[in-house]
Amino acid sequence: MAKKSVFVLLILVLAFTALLSACGNNNNAPAAETKTETPTKVEPVVEEKQDVEFSMGYATGDPATKQAIEETINAFTAANPHVTIKNISETSSASYLDWLKTKDAVGEFPDLVELRDTKVFVDAGKVAELPADLHSLFTFLPKLDGKVYNAPISGNPPQGIMYSKKAYADAGITELPKTYDEFLAIQQKLLDSGISPLVVGGKDIWHMGFWINYFLINEVYSQDPDWNSKRTAQTASFTDPAMVQAITDYKELFSKYVDKGWLSTADNQTASILVTGKAAQLFSGPWMIGQIQEADPNFEFGFYAIPNRAGKTIVNGMPGLSGWALSAEAARDADKVDAMKAFITFFFEPAQYSKYLATVNAIPTTAAQVTYETGEQMQEVLRLVQDTTIEKRMAINNWYGDNAIPPQFRNWFYKLLQELVLRDGDVTDYMKQSDVEYDNNVKANQQ
Amino acid sequence: MMATQTIKKKWWTNYAIWFILPSLVFYTAFVIAPTLSSVYLSLTSWDGISPDIRFIGLDNFREIMNSKRVHNAFYNTMIFATVLVLLENVVALGLAMLVDQVRWFRNLFRSIFYFPVLMSGIVMGFIWVIILNYNFGVINQLLDMMGLSSKKVDWLGDPDTALISIILATVWKSSGFFMIIYLAGLQGIPKEMVEAAEIDGASRWQQFRHITFPLLAGAFTVCVMLSMISSLKIFDQIAVMTDGGPGFETETLTYIIYKVAFGELRQGFGTALGIVLFLITLVISFIQIKLLRRREVEM
Repeated sequence: MAKKSVFVLLILVLAFTALLSACGNNNNAPAAETKTETPTKVEPVVEEKQDVEFSMGYATGDPATKQAIEETINAFTAANPHVTIKNISETSSASYLDWLKTKDAVGEFPDLVELRDTKVFVDAGKVAELPADLHSLFTFLPKLDGKVYNAPISGNPPQGIMYSKKAYADAGITELPKTYDEFLAIQQKLLDSGISPLVVGGKDIWHMGFWINYFLINEVYSQDPDWNSKRTAQTASFTDPAMVQAITDYKELFSKYVDKGWLSTADNQTASILVTGKAAQLFSGPWMIGQIQEADPNFEFGFYAIPNRAGKTIVNGMPGLSGWALSAEAARDADKVDAMKAFITFFFEPAQYSKYLATVNAIPTTAAQVTYETGEQMQEVLRLVQDTTIEKRMAINNWYGDNAIPPQFRNWFYKLLQELVLRDGDVTDYMKQSDVEYDNNVKANQQ
Repeated sequence: MMATQTIKKKWWTNYAIWFILPSLVFYTAFVIAPTLSSVYLSLTSWDGISPDIRFIGLDNFREIMNSKRVHNAFYNTMIFATVLVLLENVVALGLAMLVDQVRWFRNLFRSIFYFPVLMSGIVMGFIWVIILNYNFGVINQLLDMMGLSSKKVDWLGDPDTALISIILATVWKSSGFFMIIYLAGLQGIPKEMVEAAEIDGASRWQQFRHITFPLLAGAFTVCVMLSMISSLKIFDQIAVMTDGGPGFETETLTYIIYKVAFGELRQGFGTALGIVLFLITLVISFIQIKLLRRREVEM
C-alpha cells in the first residue's frame, strides 16, 4: 500500500509568487500581474436573493475533476438556493475545444466556462474580462493583450512517470534515472522482464500531448522559449535540428516501449492497465494519482520527472492562459454576473478549494493559504513546482501572446505524429508536412 | 360557362397557394436559404465563431484538390460506399431468405436480427469499442485464453484493421433494416411461380437466379440506394470508434467536414467540403438510379 503520509501543505504566498513570476518571463505576453498583499475579501454579491440561472461548461475528461467540480456546484447551490447552475458539460472523446466550439455553433456557449484556448474565444468576442474585484483572489493572473480573462482553476502541473514499484523491483531497477539515456535503459530492462513498459491513452488525442510536449519542452523550448513565435514568423522550422531530435526521440520511444494497444486505449483506461500489471508506467499529470489509487488502493507506485540527456529536469509548469471565464453574452446580465462572481468566490474559498485540490491533486492558485492532504506522489509534484532550480516550460498549445500557435494546429500535429509511428515514417518528411500545415493555418487565421 | 370555369380555377389556384405557402416559407428558411448561404460560406475563410467573414474565392476548393488528407478521406468514403453497400445487401438478403424459410421462431429471429437497428450509432459504437478493445476486449481476451496472445490485434488502433472493423460493426447494425425490406419483397413473390419452377426441375440456385432475385428488383433498388446514401454519410461509428484515427486513417468526407469545421476552426473550408460531398452524392445517386431503374425495367 502506498505510504500516504499526511502532508500539510501551507502555500507561502511570497515563495509561490516569486516562483510564478520567474516562470512568466519567457512569454511575449504582457508582464503578469502578481499579488502579494493579503487578499481583499470579496463579499458574495447576491443580496436581493432573486432567482437566477446560469449555464456552466468545463472539461470533464478527468473523472476526478468532474467529480470535484460537481461537488462544488452542489455545495454552492445548497448555500445559495436562489442560484440554479445548469451544468451542460459532457464527456466525450473529442477534444475540449471541439466540444466548446460545437456548443457555440448551436448557440449553447456556457455562461461560465472553463477556457483552455482562451485566445480563440477572446478573438471571437465570446468572452468578457474577469471582474476586477476577483483579481485579488489569485497570486498570479496571466494577461492577454493586457487584459485578464481567466480565474485560474489550478496551477499548470508538471507531468512525470507514475511507475509500479513492483514492476521496477521485478526488473531489478533499484535507482531512478538521472538522465534520459538511463530512462531508456530502464525501459529496456522492463521490456526484458516481460512487462509492457509504458501505457499510453492515444485514443484521446490530448493525451498524446503529454509525451510529445515532454520532448518539445526538453529539446526545443528549453533552448528557445520563443520558438513558436519564430515558427509563425517563418524564421524557425519544424525541420530544425532540435525539433527533429525531439520527434526522433518520440518515435523511438513509441516504436519500442509503448504498449501495443496504445492507439485504441482511452486516457481513462490507463489507470486500470497500470494497476493490473499490463504495463509498468504511465506518463501523465498529478490528476491521475487519485484515479490510480481508486483503481487499486493497494497498488504501490511512485512519481518522478524524467530528466533530459544532460541530466537536467525541465517540466511543464508555467502558468497558462486558462481557467474560469465569463461569456460576453452572460456578462451583459448583471444578475448573472453577480451569481457567477459568487460562484467563483465560493469555488476559491480555502475551505471549498482545498477539497477540490485534494480530489484532483492540483496546484493552488489562490493568494489565500490553502491546506490539504497529499500522498508521497503529490509531494514530489509539489517539490517540482516549488523548486526554483527546475526550469518550467509549457505545452506547444499553451503558449500565448506572440508564442500562440494556430489553435487548429495542435490536434492535427498530434495525429500526424501518431501516423509517423504507425507508418514508420521519415521524421524530416513529416516535419516538412508540419511546416506546410502550420503556415496554412497561420494564413487561414489571418484571412 | 367558360367564364365560370376560369373563375373557379383561379379561385382554386389562389386557394392552393395559401395551403402551400407555410410549407414553402418553412422549407425556404430552413433548407433553401442555408443551402445557398453554404455556397457563399464555401468561398470564405470564416472560422465559425468570428464575426469577420472574408471572401477568398476558390482557395478552399484548390486546397481540397491538393490535400492528401482530403484525398484519403475521399478514398475511405468510396471504400465505405462500395464495400458497405455490398456487404449490407448480401447479408440482409441472406438473412431475409433464412428468416423467410424458417418454420419455427420466425418472429424471434426477425426480432433478433432487427434489434441492432434500434440502437443509435453512438451506442453501437461504444459496444464495439468495448468488444474490440486491445487490453480488455472480448475478442482479445478469448485469444489470450486460447494461448494466442501473440495473435492479439489492436482492431481499432491498427490502420489495417480499423476501417474493416468499422465496416463490420456497421453491417451488424444496419443489415436488419434492409432485411425487413427484402423480406417484404420475398413475401410478395407468388408461390405458384416457385412451385412451377420446382416441378420443372429448377435447382435452388436457378430459382433464386431466375425468379427470386428478378422479382426483388424494386426492393434491391431501394436497399442499394438507402445503403449507399447512409454509407456516404457515415459519421457516428467513426466518431465513437476511432475519431478518424489512428492518425487520419479512418476519416471520411463527412467526418473530416466536422473535424475541420468545428475542431480546426475552418467553417469555410468545411462548408466547401460539404459542397463537394453534395456533388459526389448527387452524381452517384443519379448514376445509381439510372442503372437500377433500367435493370428493373429489363427484369
